Amino acid sequence: MSGGFHIVVCGSLVPDPLQTLEPMEGPTGPALKNEMMLPAVLDPWAGHALFEAAQLAKNVPDSKVWLVSLGPKAKLQQLMMSIAQKVSFELVAIDGSAGGFTDPFDVAATLADTIDKIEGLDRTRLLLFGGCASASRDSGVTMQMVAERLDIVDQFLAVDKLTVSSDGALEVLERIEAGQYQVSSCAGAPAMLGWATGSLPEPPNNPQVGMMNMRTVMPALQKAQAAEVGIGGLKYAAVELPKQRRETRVVKDTPAEEIAQEIVDWLKA
Amino acid sequence: MNIDRQMMEVDIACVGFGPATAGFLHTLSQAMTAEDGSVLLESKVMPGMPLQVVCYERADDIGFGVSGVVTRGKALRASLPDLDPAQIPMAAPVRDEQVLYLKDPLGKSRRSSGVRMLDRLFGLLGVKDHAVKLPYIPPFLCKKDGLVLSIGQFSQWIGNQLMGSGLVQVWPGMPVSEPLLEEDRVVGVRLTDQGVESDGTPGPGYMPGMDIRAALTVVGDGPVGPVGQKLDAHFGLPAGNHQDEWAGGMKVVVELPEDCTLQPGFVLHTLGYPEPEIFGFLYVYPDRVASLGIFVPSWLDSPVRSSYRLLQHWMQHPAIWKHLKGGTLRSWGAKSLQESGQRGEPVLAGDGFARIGEGSGSTNLLTGSGLDEAWATGVQLAEGVIELAKAGEPFSRTNLERAYLGRRRDSWVEKDARIAKCARDGFTRGMVPGLLGMALSGMSGGRFNVGGAFRRPWQRIPAFKDYFSGQLSAQEIDTIVEDCRQHGKPPFEPLMDKLGWPPIEYDGQLLISHQDALLLGGKVQAAHGFADHVRFVDPSACDDCESQICVAMCSGQAISASEGGGVPQFDREKCIHCGICMWNCTSGRDGDPLRSNVSFDAGSGGLHSAEN
Amino acid sequence: MDKILLLAHTQTDGSLPKAAYESLNAALTLAADLGGAAVTVGLIGADVQAAADSIATCGAASILAVSGEDFAASRYSSDTVAVETLVKETAPTLVLAPTSSRFSRCLPGAAYRCDGRIETHITGIEVVDGAVQVQRWYYRQRMVASLSRVQRPWFLVIDSGVFEPWQGAAGSVDVQTLEVAIGDDCQRTKVLGVQTPDSDAQTIRPDAKLLFVAGAGWTKKQTDGQLHIKQAEELILGFINNSKASLGSSKSLVDQSSEGGEVISFMSHLNQVGQTGSTPRHLKGLATCCHGEEPHTVGWRFISERRAISLDPNCGWAQGKADVLYVADAFEVIAKINELLAGS
Repeated sequence: MSGGFHIVVCGSLVPDPLQTLEPMEGPTGPALKNEMMLPAVLDPWAGHALFEAAQLAKNVPDSKVWLVSLGPKAKLQQLMMSIAQKVSFELVAIDGSAGGFTDPFDVAATLADTIDKIEGLDRTRLLLFGGCASASRDSGVTMQMVAERLDIVDQFLAVDKLTVSSDGALEVLERIEAGQYQVSSCAGAPAMLGWATGSLPEPPNNPQVGMMNMRTVMPALQKAQAAEVGIGGLKYAAVELPKQRRETRVVKDTPAEEIAQEIVDWLKA
Repeated sequence: MNIDRQMMEVDIACVGFGPATAGFLHTLSQAMTAEDGSVLLESKVMPGMPLQVVCYERADDIGFGVSGVVTRGKALRASLPDLDPAQIPMAAPVRDEQVLYLKDPLGKSRRSSGVRMLDRLFGLLGVKDHAVKLPYIPPFLCKKDGLVLSIGQFSQWIGNQLMGSGLVQVWPGMPVSEPLLEEDRVVGVRLTDQGVESDGTPGPGYMPGMDIRAALTVVGDGPVGPVGQKLDAHFGLPAGNHQDEWAGGMKVVVELPEDCTLQPGFVLHTLGYPEPEIFGFLYVYPDRVASLGIFVPSWLDSPVRSSYRLLQHWMQHPAIWKHLKGGTLRSWGAKSLQESGQRGEPVLAGDGFARIGEGSGSTNLLTGSGLDEAWATGVQLAEGVIELAKAGEPFSRTNLERAYLGRRRDSWVEKDARIAKCARDGFTRGMVPGLLGMALSGMSGGRFNVGGAFRRPWQRIPAFKDYFSGQLSAQEIDTIVEDCRQHGKPPFEPLMDKLGWPPIEYDGQLLISHQDALLLGGKVQAAHGFADHVRFVDPSACDDCESQICVAMCSGQAISASEGGGVPQFDREKCIHCGICMWNCTSGRDGDPLRSNVSFDAGSGGLHSAEN
Repeated sequence: MDKILLLAHTQTDGSLPKAAYESLNAALTLAADLGGAAVTVGLIGADVQAAADSIATCGAASILAVSGEDFAASRYSSDTVAVETLVKETAPTLVLAPTSSRFSRCLPGAAYRCDGRIETHITGIEVVDGAVQVQRWYYRQRMVASLSRVQRPWFLVIDSGVFEPWQGAAGSVDVQTLEVAIGDDCQRTKVLGVQTPDSDAQTIRPDAKLLFVAGAGWTKKQTDGQLHIKQAEELILGFINNSKASLGSSKSLVDQSSEGGEVISFMSHLNQVGQTGSTPRHLKGLATCCHGEEPHTVGWRFISERRAISLDPNCGWAQGKADVLYVADAFEVIAKINELLAGS
């Protein structure tokens, strides 16, 4: 293979899953209450994509990783302070909404347009990475539309493993039904991979990686273009929290035999 | 073992991002470059570049897990002349201040004859909702023209500006384990090991904590910070100083009910209930949100203190509940407060290091103010550092004493601290001497005080039999304690029940179980691969412990009793890093009576909420 | 007037998956609600005749297909061409399809090519004031929205288990096959096959009545201070085989593998239920050795009856997340259950 991969990871922030989320009607459609105050984390599947990208770049010489993030600039900056310590990348920031109620069609257009303008990006060497879905919209459609806009016709979704052979060909394991994997081979870049969890643990925080990334993160944030990403053609009639609470019966100080019998009766009912 | 440890060089390494470090970095960053971008303070490690300044913060983000405050904002406004509270979420100018003396509507608190006399005296002023509104707030307590703030939101606001400047780097999620000491010189800090087992032994993915070497280490890691603790262990405290007084602050952020009439900027302080020694606060932010909570002091000499339960009793006091009923809990948190003030001051500067903020004894205990003072000490250090850096002088003890300490000693922070130094000593003798002492100090500008009876915090926790003398028989106590021991439960709840404190009737919204508060309002995070940061140094001391007060006071239920007694269990994933366990222990450490049997070290994570 | 295209692809044996019949039912119901909109069926697969015959009496206006060896395997490049051809041929306003890994991969791109829009994970469709409105969940099952769109064609990918499957007589039907050529540029990817889980037993069973969730407690030190991984594996597998349940896990259990800890050998992230895992649909769920914290329990959104076994009486399950919480040692209880199930 001549030259390494140019890996572009699309990923942004989502509210920390531990937070209490409540919808509200914002000026331009549904939003989360206190959205700007909620602690944010990197979208988990996009996070896996980023860690896989960094690992791949490490293993294939002459590769490079960009992280394209669409989110409110101030929140992106905060997010970068934690993830920039983990792996090396060059940030491309877009200042706009990272909310789940935005129209994925418009989000894809913004991301594709931004990627298209990345200086020095060789589209023939492009591996477009992202999460198989976001933890906000949870739709699993954006990456495919970004890839379509970038004329990528080899696409994979819910990827857990990517193996690259010496000639640059890809072998991909995608999650399919009933805990199985579909194994495919692809002639090489360009391709889109929407990652599931992958196989790498979250890298530890490394201050040197952080210091290195900061040289590009801050300038990228400073020149982040504003993007009008809203609910687009969607019309929300209602957004509601489900009724969550059940009346829990707590069974204590009961012999295991009795509990087992009760559960078996329940299973058979 | 020969550890291959990475090393990095910077000019200034800061530990902990709180108001003091924020003040330091804000002031310093403004002097680092000229408007045209040219370098004014040049780096020694990267010549030609501005000073390389990094700050490491244990929590997952800046401003997580801190608290609500009311502050006069003197130092803040000096640094930020254009400060507009409307720019900062959850900030508002102070509008109305009240102090309420709370009587005990249940008759269950321990009220000495002196407190009962206070009840009667204050009662003459007119009782409403079992409370007396003080007609007069002494000027030293007054926060007129001040601000109510969420330190979390303030820290994020200022932190974002700092990071946006690109001149300083603040790295959250990165605990610092210790200072790097070469004899008496601090040459930087060591970050915490990652990829280790809970006992600290290397595991899969072991990454030894990096050494960050710096000409100046700025220690702003608060009252329970590991670096501050280790410096104190090395240098000792200046003669006559001690850090024996503490308080556990526990608070909630509440969305007030729709019919609540309290206005943003309303400030309420309480005393007298659920135990006379417990102070409470309620600050109203914009958008019908309030921060409220209590302080449980180390001189509440009770072996059954539990901030969470006491907080719920306080919230249900009729004078408080009338504002809260129908509200919803949004967030929850706790922290340790170093209550020795200037008497707790450590060695503030030495070769290669300086200490700022609460851990440096800056909190003023007479005025009940910490944020402004902490910020001011950060600013003073920054001004000193700028002076030294411009002159090309090293960060030696002598230079820092002149450039930083000189400024601090000449400032209002020091002047006020001197007035406050002995103001609270009386509380170590009881509630009434305490109030009297505060009034005396406040009115006389610190000339008159009520003397204290100081003891180590661990010496202040009485045995159950002494504490419950006349209320519960030895046999009743023994039965409860033994039953709890067998079932691995701490005895404080059953004992409080036995005394007649009513059970809390959960409403699922505001009055919720401690566990629910952790789930709803706590959001605790603990990154994988770090060691347990709470340890029980001598297990045999735990075997002999009757009260298990570390379990009772653990804000996050991270410490739990073991079945059959003995060393409690510690669950790092629930710890909110309040450090309250450190001073809620009944044993002194063998050979080191200044410290208790609980060691509290560097750890990652903690509370994951900035709404505090 | 709306025109509905129902898309379905065959399975390896040429039959349609259950979810396809569910979506067919959804399409027919919607057509009726829209006052008799026409429904066309578009099939994709190597050989679709048997599949078409199985829905011969459904009342579709016509059944079209893109078929042949190029469309046997689930591949983005060829599947999008197939969908694009079917949509362009029928010019529908609404395109309905069942959720599957194959459609999840290809439909978004296909929708883009057709200048359409797409919503996935649809859990409800209704007609309000003559307009189609759908329900779907946001923020990983935290909140549900009802929404509509102006743009057409609108692709709606329906979650399985939401609608009853269409049930009708099979028959014989004429399928109109559309000729589609797959160029070399669409042949860069080759599907090599399917890998089944390493374990002897299949542990993920989407059609099972019961979801059994194993939490990290199974791999922690037990009351005797020791790990009992082997025993945990035997108990879990024993239960799964006896009860025919589908096996799920908490994140913390399967995370241990990437952190180098000792793990349950037959479980991986594929089993993970919750915020960053799956949100399966089963009638009943039994959680064991798991704290029931919010990020995990959001994955239980579509489990109707929930019970949990945990040693911690204050765990999340007790906070209104389960119908019953048994405060007990799961090792003991599951051993007893296995005895009872084996004996019956």
